[in-house]
Amino acid sequence: MLRALADPHRRQILRLVRGGELAAGEIASHFDATQQAVSHHLQVLARAGLLSERRDGVRRLYALDPQGLDPVREMLSELWPSALERLKYVVEQDRKKTAAPKRAGRKP
Amino acid sequence: MTVAEVLTATVRIGASPADVFPYFIDPALLVQWIGEWADLHPEPGGRFALDIGKTPVRGEYVEIEPPRRVVFTWGVAGKDSLPPGSTTVEIVLTADGPDTVVQLFHHDLPAEEFDSHLAGWTAKLDQLARLRT
Repeated sequence: MLRALADPHRRQILRLVRGGELAAGEIASHFDATQQAVSHHLQVLARAGLLSERRDGVRRLYALDPQGLDPVREMLSELWPSALERLKYVVEQDRKKTAAPKRAGRKP
Repeated sequence: MTVAEVLTATVRIGASPADVFPYFIDPALLVQWIGEWADLHPEPGGRFALDIGKTPVRGEYVEIEPPRRVVFTWGVAGKDSLPPGSTTVEIVLTADGPDTVVQLFHHDLPAEEFDSHLAGWTAKLDQLARLRT
């Protein structure tokens, strides 16, 4: 999930399909990247459960997967913890720098 | 549609609450762990401004009780569906031996905003991922 969302093109794709279902070609027309590259992004998003995919003749249509929003919420609930882990790291590093090394920063 | 959501997160830090607290009110310290730019006026009604990637998070401090608790509002400038002041972040610091347990509660986050919040947060994730490798 994190990897699927880490790419700016993929986030842009999700914003595009928020308004409704779009064909792969329509999505690709918003990017400078090759259709093959966009297709790869679509596959990653579909595998992550964020996009639903269906075929209409030769066209492949993509929509935001409403089921996928729950994983998004789950993922977002990991974002604050990630920031707090960073806080922990920063505070503990700063303490090592400023305070004399009276404590090794590691528990017995 | 506004389904109120509360996000909670917690972490244990090997420092006292007095050591940790400034990281929520000092802009130079805040941006060491979240966002890239901040303008903070840590007093009730004082400005809380934080840019995370391209997302201008704006709000104001509501309660400041050093070194135990800080509450500020949280929204995105120019975003009608999540205006500044629309959600609230509450941080509680509790001493536990030599450590501090940090609890974070993000109140009133509308469910439908989660994925648009994403854009700003993912920039932070990228940064975190780089630091960890």
